[in-house]
Amino acid sequence: MPPASPSAHLPLRPVEFEILLTLAAGERHGYAIIQETEARSGGAVRLETGTLYRALQRLVQSALVTPVDRRSPDESSEERRRYYALTPLGREVAIAEALRMARLVTVARKARLIPAGSSS
Amino acid sequence: MTRATPDWLERAARAMHRALLRAYPRAFRDEFGRDMDETFADRWREARARGEWSMLLLSLRTILDTIAQAAVARSASLPSRSDMFHLQDVRYAFRLLRRSPVFTLLTLVVLAGGMGVSVFTFSFLYSAILRPLPLSDGARIVRVQEVQGRSTSGFDAFDFARMRSQVTTLKDVGTWSSHEVVLGGADGRAAQRVLQVTAVEWSVFDATHTPPTLGRPFREDDEALGAAPVIVLSHDLWTIVFGGDSTIVNQVIRLNGTSTQVIGVMPRGYGFPVSAESWVPLGAAVREATEAGRYSVNVFGRLVDGATPERAELELTALLRRTRSERPMAPADTAGPAPTVSVRTFPMAQMGDDGPAFFTIINVMATLILLLACINVGNLLLARANERARELAVRLALGASRGRLAMQSLWEPVFLVIVSGALATAIAAAALSFVNHWAHTRLEGNLAFWWTWGMDQPTLLAAGGFTTLTIAVLGGVMATRATSTRFNDVLRDGGARDGGQRAGRVSRALVATQVAAVTVLLFFGVLSGIAAFRLAHIETGYDTRNLLASSVEPDVARFPTEEARRAYWERLSALLVTQGGIEDAVIRARLGTADDARGAIEFGDGRVVPLAEQPRAWLHGVLGPLDSLGIRRVEGRALDDRDRGGQPAVAVISRAMAERYWPGRSPVGERIRLPGIGEATNDQWRTVVGVVTDVPFGDEFARNPRRAIAVYVPLGQHDAASATLLFRHRGDAAAATAALHLAVGTLDPGSAPAQVQSYDDILAKSALIAGGVSRLFGLSFAFALLLAISGTYGLMARSIGMRTREIGVRRALGATDRSIQRLLLAQGGRQLGIGAVVALPAMILVGVGFSRFFPIAPLIAIGVATAVAASIIAVVLAATWLPTRRALLVSPRDALWRDG
Repeated sequence: MPPASPSAHLPLRPVEFEILLTLAAGERHGYAIIQETEARSGGAVRLETGTLYRALQRLVQSALVTPVDRRSPDESSEERRRYYALTPLGREVAIAEALRMARLVTVARKARLIPAGSSS
Repeated sequence: MTRATPDWLERAARAMHRALLRAYPRAFRDEFGRDMDETFADRWREARARGEWSMLLLSLRTILDTIAQAAVARSASLPSRSDMFHLQDVRYAFRLLRRSPVFTLLTLVVLAGGMGVSVFTFSFLYSAILRPLPLSDGARIVRVQEVQGRSTSGFDAFDFARMRSQVTTLKDVGTWSSHEVVLGGADGRAAQRVLQVTAVEWSVFDATHTPPTLGRPFREDDEALGAAPVIVLSHDLWTIVFGGDSTIVNQVIRLNGTSTQVIGVMPRGYGFPVSAESWVPLGAAVREATEAGRYSVNVFGRLVDGATPERAELELTALLRRTRSERPMAPADTAGPAPTVSVRTFPMAQMGDDGPAFFTIINVMATLILLLACINVGNLLLARANERARELAVRLALGASRGRLAMQSLWEPVFLVIVSGALATAIAAAALSFVNHWAHTRLEGNLAFWWTWGMDQPTLLAAGGFTTLTIAVLGGVMATRATSTRFNDVLRDGGARDGGQRAGRVSRALVATQVAAVTVLLFFGVLSGIAAFRLAHIETGYDTRNLLASSVEPDVARFPTEEARRAYWERLSALLVTQGGIEDAVIRARLGTADDARGAIEFGDGRVVPLAEQPRAWLHGVLGPLDSLGIRRVEGRALDDRDRGGQPAVAVISRAMAERYWPGRSPVGERIRLPGIGEATNDQWRTVVGVVTDVPFGDEFARNPRRAIAVYVPLGQHDAASATLLFRHRGDAAAATAALHLAVGTLDPGSAPAQVQSYDDILAKSALIAGGVSRLFGLSFAFALLLAISGTYGLMARSIGMRTREIGVRRALGATDRSIQRLLLAQGGRQLGIGAVVALPAMILVGVGFSRFFPIAPLIAIGVATAVAASIIAVVLAATWLPTRRALLVSPRDALWRDG
């Protein structure tokens, strides 16, 4: 049984956090996850197919993500894709990880590692 | 938006990606494989829209990503260390094997046989070809030979004496030459024993780091001019001839009538350089030869640290060419290609350039036999695993990990292979020891001193290697079988159809592999059989009854000129026939062969045979009646007393030559010139006076021995420094040998006839070796054939047995027996076809490789290939038909209820 406490899942691997972030906006199929992650990072993060699905396997086994139904991405297409969605635990873990990172950012600002006015 | 129909490139890329997905563990593939395939397809379309570079980049990134991710996923799916070994698994495997003693015994016999053949073959050939000399740092001791065209030889002592001080890639360099002397018989009347003597430089025992066990080694002063003659004996000679007399050192024995002091006895097994039985000093006169063309020596040395044989070859070739260019040369020596030098280990020099190829081909054949054994045993193990499919599925359902199941199914093959490996090692050791004993008792004197066989470290390593390989193959098959168990399939379909499709695929692949392996093996086996048969039944083309042969080389110092040597041969010929017990003496000197051809054959009518088109040709100088050997006159006249120096130059040619160059007409009276086959120094035209029957002198194993052309010229019209005496004895061979010694000794007390051998003995010995080898091969290939027949039958029976239920359904639905027979025979035919496609290139390779060692006419090779193919077709069809018949005997109703 995977641990039920969100903090037990922290810290997440970067690729796992990226997937959770993408799924936070709603259910997505694999290719959509790759596209959105790449777009959000401005091309800096480009997931490979194998990396994505190995990460998805870990997230599914930890009950943070669950596969949902298989459906066509658009009405005109006959091909059906499997969609993945965040579980309630997955959402809590994503929040916990985001807060952990926010705290780290605050600390980094105080230590003047991040220049004032910088958004990142 | 409607997607475009996938084009062929996308289909190919997706197929490649699906193939890549197989690198992931099965469970992962089952869960995510389809999603990954679809995601890759989406990405491919995106990349295609961007251009070719994007597609290429995507392909590369996907391959690298798959390698990395699959490796991590695979290692994560391995069982933990504590899960790997369970004593109860071992006990379980033992219990299973004990419960089926016939299966256990059969697999042990098959595996031990397969591994035994492989281990024996490897060890036998390794000892004969690759093992370093059994001397201190023996791997670096090399034999140095001069190469002229296709023939290798020793060096002119004069040339080498000038080169040796400049050689930097070799140390402990030495030279030797071999001859025979008569031991005892001081008065020259009776020869007690002819002794092989190796004349060596005084430092030879230091150079090979081997001191005598008795007495002392040679000293520098033993070699000085006028020094008292001394000899060192081999251990065998000391024990056989002198009864192991411990007081032998300092005793005086007679060699060719000269008193010679024994100064030492070498250790057992030492016969350096090749098969020496005694050693005498070479003498400073030879070592520091001051006259070219006088002495010929063989050369050895030890590679210095960092030197390779290739570097040494380059250096010595340059030195030899420079030395040659600085001395006056005979016209014959300057013709043809420039000489090169070969530097090889002694075993490799003995085997020639083909040693490594021979080693590889024979070992590949032996490994194919092991492969056949593995297929047989693998099939039996798979059949047993099928019986336990339900049990495995239940274990899986109860929570056993796939790794654990794999480990559990490994113990059975591991145990079988380890016990068979031990048995195979014992079989190989016994066979090696038998071969060693056989060779040393039957071929005494003809064996190089490093040719000893028995259990040694390389044999044990080979046994370990083959055992590991077999464990990997069989263990891999069984572990894959266990981990591919699917719970649902087994429970739904029952044991008999467990993984039906997959098991069927594996089974068909095994049959195809088996067909390919056995086709190649049989092809090689039959070719070897033909070669062995021809060796055992050599057609000499002349009468070998009571025929003795010996080589004679008059001392150059006593017979320095061409005229003196001519007179020597004529006197020897005359003297021989007056000896009691000798008749039909012929002196034959091999003056040249096509192997060292340096020019063309020319005809009086202006025709010239270019070097590239020259057939195998031999030039013999003869003195004595050829017809007494069975070489009959076909037309014209024989060579006789008229044909002496100063008379018109004549020649007698073989019928093959007459038919080739004067088709349909007589060559008698035509003129020929033979610079191409040895007459470069005698730039003269010869008139053909007769034609004789074809005899394959020295070329007995050629593809068509009788078609080699031969030219006989009178020895009175051509110089020869050495020659072979061929004579027939009337009564006792020993008396005739003694008479020969007397005749040669009378003419030249300094020389003795060498290697007096009976032709019948030579032929019997070669037949003995050929017979021995062919029996060994025959046994191995019979074993392979048995494995192939039983294995193919077993595989087909299992493959068809698994379809019993399907056959029942087909029959219930109205299929006729004939249509089912056709269906199953077609299945056998497909595997036959795949096997043949794989085997064909391998057979061509084997045929080409084989013809390098033993000429086989292409027609014979094609005939053998066809016969082998027909036999394999018959075996596979019979192996398909029998189980088909059995399957059809089961009624459809029973077949449908059949569970396994």
